[in-house]
Amino acid sequence: MEKVITLKIDDKEIKAQEGTTILEAAKQAGIKIPTLCHLEGLEPYGACRICSVEIERRGKSRVVAACCYPAEENLKVVTRSPKIDKIRKTIIELAASTAGEDVAGEMRALASEYHANLSRFRTGVPNEPTKCILCGICVRRCTEATWDSAIGFIGRGANRRIVLFPEKAGTCVICNYCQHVCPTGRITSIGPDPPFPHVDEVLSGRK
Amino acid sequence: MEMDCQHCNYKWDYLGDNEYYATCPRCRYKVKIPEDKAGALRQKKLDQVLKGRYPAPQKPVRLLGIAGIVNKAMEDYTYDESMLIQILLRLQRNFGWLPREMLSEVSKQLGVSLSHVYQVVTFYKAFSLAPRGRHLIRVCTGTSCKVRGATTILDNLQRLLGVERGETTPDSRFSLETVNCLGCCALGPMMTVDGEYYGSVKLPNVKNILSKHG
Amino acid sequence: MATVECISSPEDLEKFRQEIKAKREPSKLSVSVCVSTGCVALGGLGVMQAFKAELDKQGLKDKVELKETGCLGFCEQGPRVTIYPEEICYLRVQPEDVSEIVSKTILEKQVVERLLYKDRASGRTAQKLEDIPFYKYQLRLLLGDNAKIDPKNIDDYIVLGGYDALAKSLFKMTPEQVIEEIKRANLRGRGGGGFPTGSKWETTRGAPGEPKYVVVNCDQGDPGAFMDRSLMEGNPHSVLEGLIIGGYAIGAHEGFVYVREEYPIAVENISVAIKQAEQYGLLGENIMGSGFDFRVKVHRGAGAFVSGESSALMTAIEGKVGEPRPKYVHTAVKGIWDKPSCLNNDKTWATVPLIILRGAEWFKRIGTKGSSGTMIFSLVGKVNNTGLVEVPMGITLRDLIYKIGGGIRAGKKFKAVQTGGPSGGLIPEEYLDLPVDFDELAKVGSMMGSGGMVVMDEDTCMVDTAKYFVDFLLEESCGKCIPCREGLRALSKILNDICEGKGKDEDLKTTEDIAETMRDASLCALGQTAANPVLSSMKYFRDEWEQHIGYKCCSAGACKALTNYYIDPKKCQACLFCLKECPVGAVQGGKNQVHWVDQAKCVKCGTCYEVCNFNAVKKLSAEPIPPPPTKGTKPIRKRK
Repeated sequence: MEKVITLKIDDKEIKAQEGTTILEAAKQAGIKIPTLCHLEGLEPYGACRICSVEIERRGKSRVVAACCYPAEENLKVVTRSPKIDKIRKTIIELAASTAGEDVAGEMRALASEYHANLSRFRTGVPNEPTKCILCGICVRRCTEATWDSAIGFIGRGANRRIVLFPEKAGTCVICNYCQHVCPTGRITSIGPDPPFPHVDEVLSGRK
Repeated sequence: MEMDCQHCNYKWDYLGDNEYYATCPRCRYKVKIPEDKAGALRQKKLDQVLKGRYPAPQKPVRLLGIAGIVNKAMEDYTYDESMLIQILLRLQRNFGWLPREMLSEVSKQLGVSLSHVYQVVTFYKAFSLAPRGRHLIRVCTGTSCKVRGATTILDNLQRLLGVERGETTPDSRFSLETVNCLGCCALGPMMTVDGEYYGSVKLPNVKNILSKHG
Repeated sequence: MATVECISSPEDLEKFRQEIKAKREPSKLSVSVCVSTGCVALGGLGVMQAFKAELDKQGLKDKVELKETGCLGFCEQGPRVTIYPEEICYLRVQPEDVSEIVSKTILEKQVVERLLYKDRASGRTAQKLEDIPFYKYQLRLLLGDNAKIDPKNIDDYIVLGGYDALAKSLFKMTPEQVIEEIKRANLRGRGGGGFPTGSKWETTRGAPGEPKYVVVNCDQGDPGAFMDRSLMEGNPHSVLEGLIIGGYAIGAHEGFVYVREEYPIAVENISVAIKQAEQYGLLGENIMGSGFDFRVKVHRGAGAFVSGESSALMTAIEGKVGEPRPKYVHTAVKGIWDKPSCLNNDKTWATVPLIILRGAEWFKRIGTKGSSGTMIFSLVGKVNNTGLVEVPMGITLRDLIYKIGGGIRAGKKFKAVQTGGPSGGLIPEEYLDLPVDFDELAKVGSMMGSGGMVVMDEDTCMVDTAKYFVDFLLEESCGKCIPCREGLRALSKILNDICEGKGKDEDLKTTEDIAETMRDASLCALGQTAANPVLSSMKYFRDEWEQHIGYKCCSAGACKALTNYYIDPKKCQACLFCLKECPVGAVQGGKNQVHWVDQAKCVKCGTCYEVCNFNAVKKLSAEPIPPPPTKGTKPIRKRK
């Protein structure tokens, strides 16, 4: 169904097709909503929550992720406000508690735009900074490119990490997709394998 | 593919599969492979990789060892992809733990990617990737059991056995694990050893319970 | 179980029911022993074996029926044995008592007094179940039949009127009429969200896409709640019947039952129930000759609390990792494999046959205006009578804890009650007169959730409780979104520091900032409600937090790093109890010599505090520890 609906983003009337997300509708209208775990062409993931916006619908307002919320008729969206800015700032600071202060790329740009203090939650944390915010773009891109992905998530919650599966890394020499899309600059080398630990080492080191 | 060495003007037919450079047989100069020809080489490599993943259908053969164990579970669940977790639970229960070869076999026979199998196995607590001890001790650390002193029981067990939670004793007798609620919240603190439930555990009884199971 | 051809019409069902009733004598002696997980943990299987052996020995095998039945919820007093038809209820039965029961009660019709329930306060005994104060105020709609049904025998369920509701729905009502009845009854989901079940069914029915699915959520991960286990182990057919009715109403032909693998008996019972229902023609193709097909598959969980969330459960059924998905498009419209799927808790499904048979008006009369029907609460913690309590909605917390629960254990003082599991909050004493239903508790910052109620007394530290919940959620979070994963990690570090005496003043403000971000920006309800225990603990017990941070003092004596154990030499009677029980040998002293604690060896386990009968062990916090008494000090003996 190709119905065209009208919604309001930042007091601007925008027409979009039914079924597109707020993020896409805003992009078509030229309004930029920041993202960290979103990539054109991949399914929206909804992990970083940086794209949180305030919507008002039937009198009730709530905070949703713009990359996943489908645009509806007569929706009112606010992309910048003190509440949203504070949320984005805290999310970047929380992400930096594991990733560390030394991040490059999109995350560094967002940190300076929202005046985030990247060391706020790093004091007293004994773990080494990993430069990884587990946004998952590299894993999703790899799965798209090769089906039997060479890198993948393991673990749950605070133990979630990305590891390399050596027997599937045969196609890494010709690929390098993951390096182009990392938003923090974690993946840097152009060697034969991506710089992630081997799955056996991680599982035996931890177990 | 036809290669042209700029250094010594020698032309030869390169039959290798390195996509970046080829060594000139006459002057040993490393010649860079031009972009358009490199693309064809990459495609050839990718085709080989894909062909290896989808081999020609073979006659059903009786599988032995780990492949046989996995195949039996697959047949019981009719090779259904959505029953991956149930298949792994069955393998965990019968075999005791999930070695690496078993996970590769599951990935191959069920047709799911290896990274997916690993993600499932490390996400859920029921699966164990290392051999467990002969007797599995599970202590409940739910809210009700904790309010009634489950932490003391756990500390005592850790002291008695000399291991942390999630580990196995060096002589492989006991494995200690914690569970988030066994469903007997009125009887806190609870523990099970080898599937046998013990309720209202008091500190002096812990040694008796352990000795009952060797 | 009798071998029978398929039941192919409602008249067949009634005929079959009469046949079973004719074979059973209503006045025949019957012994019902509970073999659910709780009673098994206290030795129930041994009691069962002893009964078999004793009845054999006395030659009573044909005259007395021995039944293995389900859980009645009073698990601490197990193992439970009920003798019918007199309905005598024996508690705390051990294998040694069995021969006495057989000889006295069964043969001589006399009651064994010491095995009856004895009220701690008044000393009165109660013979029948309804006379026990724990059960007197309950209205056991869902769990009441557990003592009469052998979950592995479908005949027991049919005899009590089972599958009549299914016959009525299939032959006398259209699917729309079924949905209308459920909507009128105002049945709200018992899984914790309290969403109106009728609207959910209507949305699923109206959503485009085929095939549709119905799912039973028996993945009760809330620590402290075990009613799903009790229902699924004791009466799996009621859930199954509700599921088939739901499938008929929504237009789904395939159902899933998702049970935790930590409940092995529940998994076994539901699988057996499905097989037996299929044999009888009550499940499968052409149910009861109505032309409606329905199949059920059982999926086992694998040890993840987050998989109990509805979208995560559906992802787990698809065979993937049980991570929640954004629910902006409801799972009733796009669920399993993006098809319309209706997920409900198993208590909700078990209520459906009751509503169909007795009518929506009857259901609405029970409970309050906003929440009709009964609710099963799991009353555990530091109360005298712990167990499952099924009461009409609207009962006050005070009645629950004091009338039914029998007050606080060991005469201590009530401090707080924690409701709703890790998503709920703490409720202090001033709100004890609140009626319990879906909306009232949310107003004070907690929620009813799936019914867990953990009662805490003065020996429980509120900061330690908040730390426990944050650590629990950190371990169980799926880790996909940044606010929940990193927020819980940061909160856990702050709370661990506070409990070890390293708290800082700005910790309170930082905690509030993190909690707000988690509440607004998390992907699923686990992250959004994760901060509730911390925030409610800070709101109602702020003085304890300030004591921990400012004075490094834990007034309840639960935080190990801030507590020291000290034996008062004036009260110690030198009985050698604590000396023997201490696991590390930190108590020094001897016979006729006052005991004292060697602080260097003490690991703060609290054993001496628990075993002392003279209240001589004190927990000191932020106070200087007095020096040990001189060697050879004699105890001051109390005059008798």
